[in-house]
Amino acid sequence: MSSPSGKSNPLSQPQAASELQLETPWRVVVLNDPVNLMSYVVLVFKKVFGFDETKARKHMLEVHEQGRSVLWSGTRETGEAYVFTLQQWHLTAILEPDEAH
Amino acid sequence: MKRIEVRLSLPVVAPLLDVIKGLVADLQSAPAAPVSPPDPDDEFSSEWTRDLVAAQSSDVEVLLSLFGAEFFTEGVVHFDQSNAEAIARSCSAVRLRVRERHLKGLSDESLEAGEVDLSKLDEGVRRSFTCYLFLATIQELIIQHLDESIIGS
Repeated sequence: MSSPSGKSNPLSQPQAASELQLETPWRVVVLNDPVNLMSYVVLVFKKVFGFDETKARKHMLEVHEQGRSVLWSGTRETGEAYVFTLQQWHLTAILEPDEAH
Repeated sequence: MKRIEVRLSLPVVAPLLDVIKGLVADLQSAPAAPVSPPDPDDEFSSEWTRDLVAAQSSDVEVLLSLFGAEFFTEGVVHFDQSNAEAIARSCSAVRLRVRERHLKGLSDESLEAGEVDLSKLDEGVRRSFTCYLFLATIQELIIQHLDESIIGS
Protein backbone atom coordinates (compact mmCIF):
# COMPACT_ATOMS: atom_id res chain seq x y z
CA MET A 1 0.00 0.00 0.00
CA SER A 2 1.43 3.32 -0.96
CA SER A 3 0.90 6.50 0.90
CA PRO A 4 0.59 10.00 -0.53
CA SER A 5 2.87 11.29 2.20
CA GLY A 6 6.40 12.27 1.21
CA LYS A 7 8.00 9.61 3.39
CA SER A 8 7.10 6.73 1.11
CA ASN A 9 7.92 8.59 -2.08
CA PRO A 10 11.65 8.23 -2.72
CA LEU A 11 11.66 11.10 -5.17
CA SER A 12 10.32 13.56 -2.63
CA GLN A 13 13.02 12.91 -0.02
CA PRO A 14 15.99 14.55 -1.76
CA GLN A 15 13.80 17.54 -2.51
CA ALA A 16 12.79 17.82 1.14
CA ALA A 17 16.42 17.47 2.19
CA SER A 18 17.53 20.13 -0.22
CA GLU A 19 14.74 22.48 0.92
CA LEU A 20 15.90 21.93 4.48
CA GLN A 21 19.49 22.72 3.43
CA LEU A 22 18.37 25.98 1.89
CA GLU A 23 16.16 27.02 4.80
CA THR A 24 18.42 26.11 7.72
CA PRO A 25 20.84 28.87 8.68
CA TRP A 26 24.46 27.94 8.09
CA ARG A 27 27.57 29.31 9.65
CA VAL A 28 31.07 29.90 8.42
CA VAL A 29 33.72 28.70 10.88
CA VAL A 30 37.46 29.27 10.67
CA LEU A 31 39.72 26.72 12.39
CA ASN A 32 43.16 27.37 13.81
CA ASP A 33 46.29 26.51 11.91
CA PRO A 34 49.86 26.88 13.15
CA VAL A 35 51.24 28.47 9.98
CA ASN A 36 49.30 31.59 9.04
CA LEU A 37 50.41 34.78 10.76
CA MET A 38 48.02 36.50 13.16
CA SER A 39 48.35 39.74 11.19
CA TYR A 40 47.53 37.85 7.98
CA VAL A 41 44.39 36.32 9.48
CA VAL A 42 43.27 39.78 10.66
CA LEU A 43 43.84 41.13 7.14
CA VAL A 44 41.78 38.31 5.61
CA PHE A 45 38.86 38.88 8.00
CA LYS A 46 38.90 42.61 7.23
CA LYS A 47 39.05 41.96 3.50
CA VAL A 48 36.49 39.16 3.26
CA PHE A 49 33.91 40.25 5.84
CA GLY A 50 34.52 44.00 5.94
CA PHE A 51 35.27 43.86 9.67
CA ASP A 52 37.05 46.74 11.38
CA GLU A 53 40.40 46.09 13.06
CA THR A 54 38.87 45.45 16.50
CA LYS A 55 36.34 42.90 15.31
CA ALA A 56 38.80 41.16 12.99
CA ARG A 57 41.33 40.91 15.82
CA LYS A 58 38.70 39.54 18.24
CA HIS A 59 37.84 36.72 15.81
CA MET A 60 41.52 36.03 15.08
CA LEU A 61 42.20 35.65 18.83
CA GLU A 62 39.19 33.36 19.17
CA VAL A 63 40.62 31.14 16.42
CA HIS A 64 44.06 31.21 18.01
CA GLU A 65 42.97 30.58 21.60
CA GLN A 66 39.85 28.43 21.20
CA GLY A 67 40.72 26.70 17.93
CA ARG A 68 37.71 28.07 16.02
CA SER A 69 35.56 31.13 15.50
CA VAL A 70 32.17 31.59 13.89
CA LEU A 71 32.61 34.39 11.40
CA TRP A 72 29.22 34.59 9.78
CA SER A 73 25.76 33.01 9.76
CA GLY A 74 23.08 33.03 7.07
CA THR A 75 22.04 31.32 3.87
CA ARG A 76 23.92 28.30 2.59
CA GLU A 77 24.69 29.82 -0.79
CA THR A 78 26.33 32.92 0.67
CA GLY A 79 28.12 30.79 3.27
CA GLU A 80 29.58 28.61 0.52
CA ALA A 81 30.91 31.71 -1.22
CA TYR A 82 32.56 32.89 2.01
CA VAL A 83 34.13 29.47 2.65
CA PHE A 84 35.49 29.36 -0.89
CA THR A 85 37.02 32.83 -0.54
CA LEU A 86 38.57 31.97 2.84
CA GLN A 87 40.03 28.79 1.36
CA GLN A 88 41.44 30.87 -1.50
CA TRP A 89 43.27 32.79 1.23
CA HIS A 90 44.46 29.41 2.61
CA LEU A 91 42.55 29.56 5.87
CA THR A 92 40.93 26.36 7.13
CA ALA A 93 37.26 27.24 6.78
CA ILE A 94 34.17 25.07 7.00
CA LEU A 95 30.42 25.48 6.58
CA GLU A 96 28.19 23.91 9.21
CA PRO A 97 24.52 24.06 10.17
CA ASP A 98 23.79 26.80 12.67
CA GLU A 99 22.31 24.70 15.44
CA ALA A 100 21.41 27.76 17.49
CA HIS A 101 18.39 28.19 15.18
CA MET B 1 49.54 54.21 -6.16
CA LYS B 2 51.57 53.28 -3.10
CA ARG B 3 54.59 51.17 -3.97
CA ILE B 4 57.28 49.70 -1.81
CA GLU B 5 60.71 48.70 -2.96
CA VAL B 6 62.77 46.17 -1.06
CA ARG B 7 66.44 45.51 -1.63
CA LEU B 8 67.40 41.92 -0.91
CA SER B 9 70.71 40.13 -0.61
CA LEU B 10 71.02 37.97 -3.70
CA PRO B 11 73.34 35.35 -2.11
CA VAL B 12 70.92 34.97 0.81
CA VAL B 13 67.67 34.91 -1.14
CA ALA B 14 68.68 32.87 -4.21
CA PRO B 15 68.88 29.55 -2.29
CA LEU B 16 65.45 30.27 -0.79
CA LEU B 17 64.01 30.62 -4.28
CA ASP B 18 65.15 27.06 -4.95
CA VAL B 19 62.95 25.92 -2.03
CA ILE B 20 59.96 27.80 -3.49
CA LYS B 21 60.59 26.56 -7.03
CA GLY B 22 60.85 23.01 -5.74
CA LEU B 23 57.27 23.25 -4.50
CA VAL B 24 55.69 24.89 -7.54
CA ALA B 25 54.57 21.68 -9.27
CA ASP B 26 52.99 20.56 -6.01
CA LEU B 27 51.19 23.88 -5.58
CA GLN B 28 49.90 23.64 -9.14
CA SER B 29 48.26 20.31 -8.44
CA ALA B 30 46.72 20.48 -4.95
CA PRO B 31 45.48 23.14 -2.52
CA ALA B 32 48.03 24.11 0.13
CA ALA B 33 45.53 24.27 3.00
CA PRO B 34 43.03 21.60 4.01
CA VAL B 35 39.98 21.91 1.80
CA SER B 36 36.49 20.83 2.78
CA PRO B 37 33.97 21.48 0.02
CA PRO B 38 30.60 22.08 1.68
CA ASP B 39 28.84 19.65 -0.66
CA PRO B 40 29.93 15.97 -0.75
CA ASP B 41 28.84 15.62 -4.37
CA ASP B 42 31.88 14.44 -6.34
CA GLU B 43 31.43 16.82 -9.24
CA PHE B 44 30.91 19.78 -6.91
CA SER B 45 33.98 18.84 -4.83
CA SER B 46 36.17 18.39 -7.91
CA GLU B 47 35.16 21.73 -9.35
CA TRP B 48 35.62 23.44 -5.98
CA THR B 49 39.16 22.03 -5.62
CA ARG B 50 40.04 22.70 -9.26
CA ASP B 51 39.04 26.37 -8.92
CA LEU B 52 41.09 26.73 -5.73
CA VAL B 53 44.14 25.18 -7.36
CA ALA B 54 43.78 27.44 -10.42
CA ALA B 55 43.66 30.54 -8.20
CA GLN B 56 46.60 29.28 -6.15
CA SER B 57 48.68 28.60 -9.29
CA SER B 58 47.98 32.07 -10.59
CA ASP B 59 49.07 33.62 -7.27
CA VAL B 60 52.28 31.59 -7.20
CA GLU B 61 53.11 32.83 -10.71
CA VAL B 62 52.84 36.40 -9.40
CA LEU B 63 55.18 35.55 -6.53
CA LEU B 64 57.74 34.00 -8.88
CA SER B 65 57.53 37.02 -11.19
CA LEU B 66 58.97 39.15 -8.36
CA PHE B 67 62.24 37.36 -8.80
CA GLY B 68 62.91 38.09 -12.43
CA ALA B 69 65.76 39.84 -14.23
CA GLU B 70 65.61 43.01 -12.11
CA PHE B 71 66.01 41.01 -8.93
CA PHE B 72 69.01 39.13 -10.30
CA THR B 73 70.71 42.32 -11.55
CA GLU B 74 69.65 44.89 -8.94
CA GLY B 75 68.55 42.73 -5.99
CA VAL B 76 65.31 44.71 -5.83
CA VAL B 77 61.66 43.63 -5.66
CA HIS B 78 58.54 45.82 -5.77
CA PHE B 79 55.15 45.49 -4.13
CA ASP B 80 52.11 47.58 -4.99
CA GLN B 81 48.34 47.33 -5.36
CA SER B 82 48.69 45.22 -8.50
CA ASN B 83 50.56 42.35 -6.85
CA ALA B 84 50.19 42.70 -3.06
CA GLU B 85 47.10 40.54 -2.65
CA ALA B 86 48.35 37.67 -4.80
CA ILE B 87 51.76 37.73 -3.14
CA ALA B 88 50.31 37.78 0.40
CA ARG B 89 48.16 34.74 -0.50
CA SER B 90 50.92 32.87 -2.30
CA CYS B 91 53.32 33.38 0.63
CA SER B 92 50.70 31.68 2.78
CA ALA B 93 50.37 28.79 0.31
CA VAL B 94 54.11 28.25 0.04
CA ARG B 95 54.59 28.48 3.84
CA LEU B 96 51.89 25.84 4.36
CA ARG B 97 53.59 23.57 1.85
CA VAL B 98 57.08 24.18 3.28
CA ARG B 99 55.71 23.29 6.70
CA GLU B 100 54.14 20.10 5.39
CA ARG B 101 57.01 18.93 3.20
CA HIS B 102 60.18 20.10 4.93
CA LEU B 103 59.51 21.12 8.54
CA LYS B 104 57.67 18.09 9.87
CA GLY B 105 60.31 17.62 12.55
CA LEU B 106 59.54 20.98 14.15
CA SER B 107 56.65 21.32 16.56
CA ASP B 108 53.77 23.72 15.95
CA GLU B 109 54.63 25.45 19.22
CA SER B 110 58.26 26.10 18.30
CA LEU B 111 57.28 27.37 14.86
CA GLU B 112 54.56 29.67 16.23
CA ALA B 113 56.92 31.05 18.86
CA GLY B 114 59.84 31.27 16.41
CA GLU B 115 61.93 29.36 18.92
CA VAL B 116 63.98 27.21 16.61
CA ASP B 117 67.69 26.67 17.10
CA LEU B 118 69.08 27.01 13.59
CA SER B 119 72.42 25.52 14.58
CA LYS B 120 70.69 22.21 15.34
CA LEU B 121 69.04 21.90 11.93
CA ASP B 122 70.63 20.15 9.00
CA GLU B 123 71.36 22.26 5.92
CA GLY B 124 68.18 21.40 3.98
CA VAL B 125 65.83 22.01 6.91
CA ARG B 126 67.66 25.22 7.81
CA ARG B 127 67.21 26.53 4.27
CA SER B 128 63.52 25.58 4.29
CA PHE B 129 62.98 27.22 7.67
CA THR B 130 64.76 30.37 6.49
CA CYS B 131 62.48 30.38 3.44
CA TYR B 132 59.47 29.99 5.75
CA LEU B 133 60.62 33.06 7.73
CA PHE B 134 61.48 35.01 4.58
CA LEU B 135 57.96 34.56 3.21
CA ALA B 136 56.49 35.65 6.56
CA THR B 137 58.61 38.80 6.39
CA ILE B 138 57.26 39.56 2.91
CA GLN B 139 53.72 39.10 4.22
CA GLU B 140 54.40 41.38 7.19
CA LEU B 141 55.82 44.07 4.88
CA ILE B 142 52.77 43.92 2.65
CA ILE B 143 50.34 43.96 5.57
CA GLN B 144 52.17 46.84 7.22
CA HIS B 145 52.38 49.02 4.12
CA LEU B 146 49.70 47.89 1.68
CA ASP B 147 46.81 46.48 3.70
CA GLU B 148 44.55 49.39 2.73
CA SER B 149 45.29 48.68 -0.94
CA ILE B 150 44.28 45.05 -0.44
CA ILE B 151 41.16 45.75 1.61
CA GLY B 152 40.02 48.48 -0.76
CA SER B 153 40.60 46.52 -3.97
